[in-house]
Amino acid sequence: MRLSPRAKAAWRRCLTNPRVVTGGVIIGLMAVVAVLAPWLAPHDPQEQDLLATLLPPMWLAGGEARFPFGTDTLGRCIASRLMYGARIALYVAVVAATGAMILGTLLAIVAAYFGGWVDWLISRAIEVWMAFPPVVLALILLVGMGAGVNKVILAIIVIDWTRFCRVIRSEALVVMVRDYIAAAKLAGFSHRQIMLKEMLPAVLPLVITMMSIEMGIAVIVEAIMSFVGLSVEPDVPAWGVMIADARQTMHQAPWGVVLPVGAIFLAVLAFNLLGDGLRRALDTRLVLGRAEAA
Amino acid sequence: MAFLTLQLLFRRLVLAIPILLCVSALVFGILRLLPADPVGMSLPPGATAADYEKLKQAFGLDRPLFEQYLIWLGKLLSGDMGGSIFFRRPVTELIAKALPATLELVSAGFALGVIVGGAGGLGMFAMRGGAGEHALDGATTIMMAIPEFLWAILLILFVGVSLQLLPFIGRLGPGIQLPPPVTGFLLVDSVLTGRWDSLRSALLHLVLPATALAIGLAPLVMRVLRSSLLETVQDDYITQARLRGVSERRILLRHALPNAALPAISLIGVQGGFMFGGTVLVEMIFAYPGIGNLMVDAVRNHDLPVIQAVALVYCVLVLGINAVVDVAYMAVNPRLRLAGSR
Repeated sequence: MRLSPRAKAAWRRCLTNPRVVTGGVIIGLMAVVAVLAPWLAPHDPQEQDLLATLLPPMWLAGGEARFPFGTDTLGRCIASRLMYGARIALYVAVVAATGAMILGTLLAIVAAYFGGWVDWLISRAIEVWMAFPPVVLALILLVGMGAGVNKVILAIIVIDWTRFCRVIRSEALVVMVRDYIAAAKLAGFSHRQIMLKEMLPAVLPLVITMMSIEMGIAVIVEAIMSFVGLSVEPDVPAWGVMIADARQTMHQAPWGVVLPVGAIFLAVLAFNLLGDGLRRALDTRLVLGRAEAA
Repeated sequence: MAFLTLQLLFRRLVLAIPILLCVSALVFGILRLLPADPVGMSLPPGATAADYEKLKQAFGLDRPLFEQYLIWLGKLLSGDMGGSIFFRRPVTELIAKALPATLELVSAGFALGVIVGGAGGLGMFAMRGGAGEHALDGATTIMMAIPEFLWAILLILFVGVSLQLLPFIGRLGPGIQLPPPVTGFLLVDSVLTGRWDSLRSALLHLVLPATALAIGLAPLVMRVLRSSLLETVQDDYITQARLRGVSERRILLRHALPNAALPAISLIGVQGGFMFGGTVLVEMIFAYPGIGNLMVDAVRNHDLPVIQAVALVYCVLVLGINAVVDVAYMAVNPRLRLAGSR
């Protein structure tokens, strides 16, 4: 693919932005760990060693080198479970954020392009969606659809398309009054061509920025849902499940809670840094909050 | 002025009615997708098919979906939210008991978030360019990367369990009796009946959960206030005030802040609504008996009447706080105030 000089300059600004680099490197490392988990993990994440329960990390007194981050109530290796948990977190982050991004951006461009009753309908839908605290909507969706990690992804898409749609619709409305859109119309471009070839590239920097923030939100939502037992099967190691399990014994073994919290923190921090850096580098003027998710 | 504000508020609330109708239909529709069978689950072991049909009829689950919705809506408007399948009590009673607890918690979290966020924003602005600003900026980044429910767990772990500074279970300490109910709000009732022991205990129990909620709001307020202050002080009228010899402190607090606060207020409106969402998990983690805890219990037991009623209550609260903040926004913004009165 050949890039225009402007796109190249934008690329260079991104790659030299310290936030983008820091966030990107953390996410990259997590992705490597997640993919290579079966080879990197010292133990099977389900393997129990009932003679070595609630061990502290190896650098503390009583820790053992074969369990680098210690063990949980059933003597399962926390380090291995964290690595496998990264798979769930990143899988949900990528798939759910992509889905919400596609649905939200599509509806935003359609609303801005056609205006009239289409825009009215989409805007009213956003208003209705915004009346729900996202967690509450997620809970009733999962009660309705049944639990499961793919249901969580579906719930995030169904809830968070509005986040994209709201912001990108107003940006697309600005794009609509530009001369080149009028020119494209006069030149006889089809609706689809104008929306995909003319409007989409104009809002793309904003879409990319929001996508990064949304991945952080998806990590949080998955953690919440697996914490209350509505996400993964009980035998799948997810960070939220680990926190829920370790909460019962946290006064004796705080590490069981602190380490998965740290993993979530690191992932969300990285996505936020990446998004923040992209926003500055790509110069999209907007104030983005985080975790409207909670 | 006060009358005008009330009129605006009323108009905003009327506008929320069609949204609420859509919300209620949505909630009702989604919950009917349910694969589980709430009737079967609430029957005692050894029940017959006739018992099953009888209970199904009692819950009204044998009629067409649309009819069920209309019946539910009709009853709802007359204040009847049906009976809980799991708790075996009227839903209205459950919510009436839990709602004041949630409102108390959210008010405390909201107040704390706005105060800390406002002070932090002013502080960041006052220390702009210095190490202090960087430190606060780093703090907001960290606060924003950990969701409320994990802050709740960390606060319990470090402040509650390790340091044993503050209580973290429920609303009152063991051995302290509830004050006689007047309003249902624990703090208000304690004051009204002069029960200082329960007031003290209830306040202490509020600190940690309210802090967890406030951490969701404060960093956003800080950042928005800081950047809007940075923009506002570029304005001519600030330079004018400075030329007239007004002190920097007075310029910041009396001249710049009222204008710079506007974006922060509209952000608080949106985030204040989300704070209600935060209560779901925070209440569960602190075993705090509000509607969030009720919701989690209901979800775990597939208690449909409770789930749909609580979900609706949440939406009413969100729409209500949005309306109030919108009106407050107009009240402090003279430009919009004039436009709104026409």
